[in-house]
Amino acid sequence: MSGMLTGWISIVVGTAIMALWLARPMDLALAAPVLFAMQFNTALCFVVSGAAVCLLLADARRMSMLLAGLAALFAAAMLAEHIFAIDLKIDRLFIQPFVTVGANPAGRMAPNAALCFVLINAAVILSGLLGRTSHIRVVLAALVFLISTSALLGYLLSISTAHNWLPLARMSPQTAFCFFALSTGLIFTGIERLGYHPPVVAATLAAATYFLLLTLTYVELLRQEVLFTQELPASEHGNARSTLLAVLLMSGAVYACLIIYAFRSSERSRKMALQLSESRKRLAAIIDTAVDGFITIDQRGTILSVNPACEAIFGYPAGEMVRQNIKMLMPHHDDHKQYAASAERTGMVAAAGAVHELEGQRKDGSTFPADLSVARIDLDDQVLYSSVVRDISERKAYERDILDANAELEEFSYRTSHDLRSPIASSLGLMSIVQDMIRQGAGVPELQPVLSRIDQSFRKLDHLIQNIILLTRTKMMDEPESTIPVAHTVRETLERLRHMDGGRLSTVHIDIPDTMVVRRKASRFQIIVDNLLSNAIKYHDPAEQVPEIFVRASSVKGRFVLSVADNGLGIPPGNEPQLFQMFKRFHPQHAPGSGLGLYILRKSVEHLGGTVAYRRQDKGSIFTVTLPEEKRR
Amino acid sequence: MHSILTVDDDENDQFICTYTIRRFDPDIKVLKAMNGLEALNLLRGTTPDAVILDINMPVMNGFEFLEHYKKEFDTHAPVVAMLTSSHHAADRERALRYDFVKSYFEKPLTPENLRVMSVLLGKEKHRT
Repeated sequence: MSGMLTGWISIVVGTAIMALWLARPMDLALAAPVLFAMQFNTALCFVVSGAAVCLLLADARRMSMLLAGLAALFAAAMLAEHIFAIDLKIDRLFIQPFVTVGANPAGRMAPNAALCFVLINAAVILSGLLGRTSHIRVVLAALVFLISTSALLGYLLSISTAHNWLPLARMSPQTAFCFFALSTGLIFTGIERLGYHPPVVAATLAAATYFLLLTLTYVELLRQEVLFTQELPASEHGNARSTLLAVLLMSGAVYACLIIYAFRSSERSRKMALQLSESRKRLAAIIDTAVDGFITIDQRGTILSVNPACEAIFGYPAGEMVRQNIKMLMPHHDDHKQYAASAERTGMVAAAGAVHELEGQRKDGSTFPADLSVARIDLDDQVLYSSVVRDISERKAYERDILDANAELEEFSYRTSHDLRSPIASSLGLMSIVQDMIRQGAGVPELQPVLSRIDQSFRKLDHLIQNIILLTRTKMMDEPESTIPVAHTVRETLERLRHMDGGRLSTVHIDIPDTMVVRRKASRFQIIVDNLLSNAIKYHDPAEQVPEIFVRASSVKGRFVLSVADNGLGIPPGNEPQLFQMFKRFHPQHAPGSGLGLYILRKSVEHLGGTVAYRRQDKGSIFTVTLPEEKRR
Repeated sequence: MHSILTVDDDENDQFICTYTIRRFDPDIKVLKAMNGLEALNLLRGTTPDAVILDINMPVMNGFEFLEHYKKEFDTHAPVVAMLTSSHHAADRERALRYDFVKSYFEKPLTPENLRVMSVLLGKEKHRT
């Protein structure tokens, strides 16, 4: 963009000067002859060269090279005129000058301007050919820069003798300015791609210009000295010339050193800033993506910064947390302060990494257990605390689950060890009784009842083991869902249970549509139906004339509801909480059982994502199993 | 010993107790209760020479029975606890914490158990 601007500057200035030449304002020429120090030819070349630079930067390379070639040829011809002192009749090709400024033949551009045009346009052609910037282009443009800058400085230092002060400065100020602009544009456009830093190039150019000026000044000094030898008399220890020279060289050296030093230190600080921003970015990347919350607070507990994880943990946007007191997030944060204070009192460096637990509060007011580790940061003027917060409610929930599961497991192992040994102990006792009876000479009819007791004991044991196996299967088994006809399953199960005590006594009413099907895990569903029906049959009331069982199934808002009601013994009031627990029995005298049935029922229902509820009736019980909506396939 | 109360929910265990006691001494009168609650009701009417108590029972288990027996009664018949398995130290200690619980046996009840029991209770009588 800035390169484009320099091209336009050249075009505008060139056009303005051409317009002046064409307008021929005699009064202006007398009042400000310097305006006409730039020849019409020069102005034209600036317009063409500026256009060439602009086209180059706009990537219209062919057109750019054509224009640059024309300008270079024209300027080269002018240069040849100067060098070989010939007249190619091109000086007044376009216009007959109405004034003459300077020492050149009318209409002929200055030799240094011609040289600069050749260099600049050569640089443009080269770039056009290569399609990119190059070192040679930079060097060519830098030469033009040196010439034009020294001319400009010449004007600044010695305005009155501008065009005669130095041979190379024989260039009008506007010409020098245009060359300065064009060369700057060509030097700095795309320079980073060559591996240079713009400040380095600028510093080098400045230094080179300064040395050029020094040299020119020295040459001038020598020339002047020849003319005015008497006025710079030699002293005992040397002469003014050598003193002046020494001062010049010294100042030049100091200036060069200063430039180098300034440049080096700026480079260093730039690198450090780069490293700092890099490490900051790295740290920010870690903190911003961390799952844990990072909070920095000052001594009063005011929050200075939070990371994005805090937003997720506490539910506040970052802006609502910063500058608030930490108590907003941790109501009992004082505990932490005391903790830190005691740590300071005891001379312990506020135990970095030590984690303590406290309660966090979310935006919606809900609280959660959190782990907090605090580190003290001692800065020059204040003390900060950096805290890492972790929401541990999930971990706590798991802990609770594990403890619950463990307690259940312990209960299970206690009960099984008891219930497994119980029938075996009975059998052992009965066996020794049988042996005793045989020794006493007892006959088969007397032994028979004892033997059947042994048989009963083993059946009890077998039943328990079967149930334990079922329970293990309920926990471990993973089976696919299949389509189950509900009414059919219920009828089939009842048929199987007919052989049970009371199985034939109970009248069963089934209220299930024949077409009703569910898509569930078949074996779990079977366990549920089995348990509900066998319980209803087992715990019928013997005093009841007609033991009745009602089985109903329906679909309520997509959920499957199966209920089994009976007019049986029911559950003694107050025992409901224990109903679905392991090894709870309520009618042990009435029917044998392991105390695992309803526990297995609950586990199976929960495995299918549903719930089971018990409701007391005036007479008997209702068990209701609700399974959630079926998954869409 | 003239009378023993056996408290057990399991019919087979009751049968074993009765048979073993008969064989030990046919003169001993055996009283039966199916759970702690029944036992308490029975004890309100009579105080046997000894109680053989099962710990794992529905309705009111052995421990609950002991607690009620301690609080609601002034005179206590000596009690012997029957444990299904003596491996559960907690159960054992919990039962022996009551001063009227004299000992514990592991199921099933044997004539040897009864001999130990009569010696134990005989000593007890001498002491009082």
